[in-house]
Amino acid sequence: MAEKNQGAPLLHVEHLTKEFPVEAGVFASRMNKKRVHAVEDVSFDIYPGETFGLVGESGCGKSTTGRTIMRLTNPTSGKVVFDGKDVAKMNKKELKEMRRNMQFIFQDPYASLNPRMTIGEIVSEPLQIHNVMPDAKERLEYVRSLLDIVGLNPEHINRYPHEFSGGQRQRVGIARAFALKPKLIICDEPVSALDVSIQAQVLNLLSDLQKEYGTAYLFIAHDLSVVQHISDRVAVMYLGHMMENSDWKTLYDEPHHPYTQALLSAVPVPDPDVQRSRKRIILKGDPPSPIEPPAGCPFHTRCPIAQDVCASGEMPELREVKPGHFCACHFAAPNPIKGASVEL
Amino acid sequence: MARKKNDNWVELKDQPVPEGSHLLEVDDLKMYFHTQDGVVKAVDGVSYTLDRGETLGVVGESGSGKSVTSLTIMGLIDMPPGKIEGGDVRYRGKSLLEMSEHEMEHIRGNDIAMIFQDPMTSLNPVYTIGRQLGEGLRLHRGYTKEQATERSIELLRMVGIPNAEQRVKDYPHEFSGGMRQRVMIAMALACDPDILIADEPTTALDVTIQAQIIELMKEMQEKNGNAIIMITHDLGVVADVADKIMVMYAGSPVEFGTADEIFYGASHPYTWGLIRSIPKQVKDEKKPLTPIKGNPPSLVNAPKGCPFSPRCPYAQDICRNKKPEPHFVGEGHYTKCHFASDPDFIKKNAPSTSRTQNAEGGEQ
Repeated sequence: MAEKNQGAPLLHVEHLTKEFPVEAGVFASRMNKKRVHAVEDVSFDIYPGETFGLVGESGCGKSTTGRTIMRLTNPTSGKVVFDGKDVAKMNKKELKEMRRNMQFIFQDPYASLNPRMTIGEIVSEPLQIHNVMPDAKERLEYVRSLLDIVGLNPEHINRYPHEFSGGQRQRVGIARAFALKPKLIICDEPVSALDVSIQAQVLNLLSDLQKEYGTAYLFIAHDLSVVQHISDRVAVMYLGHMMENSDWKTLYDEPHHPYTQALLSAVPVPDPDVQRSRKRIILKGDPPSPIEPPAGCPFHTRCPIAQDVCASGEMPELREVKPGHFCACHFAAPNPIKGASVEL
Repeated sequence: MARKKNDNWVELKDQPVPEGSHLLEVDDLKMYFHTQDGVVKAVDGVSYTLDRGETLGVVGESGSGKSVTSLTIMGLIDMPPGKIEGGDVRYRGKSLLEMSEHEMEHIRGNDIAMIFQDPMTSLNPVYTIGRQLGEGLRLHRGYTKEQATERSIELLRMVGIPNAEQRVKDYPHEFSGGMRQRVMIAMALACDPDILIADEPTTALDVTIQAQIIELMKEMQEKNGNAIIMITHDLGVVADVADKIMVMYAGSPVEFGTADEIFYGASHPYTWGLIRSIPKQVKDEKKPLTPIKGNPPSLVNAPKGCPFSPRCPYAQDICRNKKPEPHFVGEGHYTKCHFASDPDFIKKNAPSTSRTQNAEGGEQ
């Protein structure tokens, strides 16, 4: 997919940081120095038409990254440039204009659709907000065609969300996101609430739509096999930091970060022969709290190859270990945890 | 009927399993719910056997009846609306369905214990971990408070919770998700049960924590020799732990066999569909997934014939009109499909596995 990455990136994220005060309230930020370091100094680019996967465990900041890019929350610092304009500096009008080209698909197909609106109203709402298709009849036809494209029966346009199953609701959410033909869609765990057979349907739909419209995806998920399947490039996050980022093949074949390697090895493979023969890395303990992240590399508390240097000073720099392959580890090497191999 | 802990009640657990029967035998169990919308056939003819030291994996999509089956075994379904419409569950030769509530109370936790998906909602937030851990011991074993606390600390240590003496006094909210699930396992194993039913024990957890919990369950099984029923939707998890696998669809098993038989010799189109739906970890080229089309059927108006026929790509008229009977592909390996007796059909349509690829000299 390297040839895709020519030219200017569609989305450029630079040193993005997002902190939340631990306690809410007017004076909380002044009185209470405690902060949740949700996203720390994250940088990446997304090129037109590609899928950029963001994986990590719960609380690693992957969803906050997505929400901050769309400015559903304001970044604490850093730059988000979408289509040549800095999102963080946009006023309300510019923001609305920007969101025409950047849409969101949410995890929970039950909570993200208004139960009092028909699916036709839900899908046509973005068109109305942006006044794209003022003619009601034309809009109706367009919405029907959208429903057809995402695999729903256009006859069901006047039904309410509760009349649909989880997979069908997620299709409604996808139709809504595609209504404006955006350049980028942020998919926040779009399939994790669905059963495997339905999950495969939705993943195929997302790939088909991308082929057709050339939309770029920021695909946020915790399931590594799903991310591998859909992404061109993948980034791994841990405790707000980006640990590794590369094209999907290199990342899964030859992870250079011990965390990536451990994460890959923890995924149970649906193949008993492989499962019996491979050596797994079982990480000890839980991820540390993002309120008081450890000094040095945030992963050093659980890392099987941590040395003294990892526990002090700054977070290791995200450096290019190979062209297009970035890794934030002092000991970055192919499969750094020896004696354990990541079997595919 | 009332049995106190000091009368001559003999622990079922200490009795040998009667000749010719298994530790747990579920025999054509049917649990229907009578609702306003009609009869929901949540469990419709489930049969299996389980012995000590074995792990049974129960896989299926949401609504396939995998949880209701185990809740029925535990006697935890409210009746009404639930009603057992047939079949039997025998534990060490004794029918659990015929037991009084009082006898069942003795079975639950003592002989058959259960861990649930969400460790936060299954722990009581207002009691300390120690009190909840000790509850079963005080109830079933007549431990004093001090003995129970002492044993609780031991149990917490066993499941790898550091600083157990202090932690035993903590409340559930002071534990992380993975730690809570460890507490749940400690609680389930407190009375050394014969059977541990784990209902999606790792679904709410991150992969690195999931790996820890699965490893812990395996370790505990090796030590105690208990049987495990692992209910999950994740084929990766069953491949990791299960000796036998039951694939459920719309309330009944569609295929049952050993882990190897299910993963390398599956003969039901639904099992194939599940295997094909999972994104493969590939090294070179990515291929589109092959999903199962459509949605699972409603359990109220279940299809007349094979429940999978509306979604099955190979369905014929016979499938839509007649319920298939179990067909034994091998000893103990059965499939409920009209075409399972046709080896050509299976050969032609079964997904390729790592073993078939090896046999053909393909990659990997």
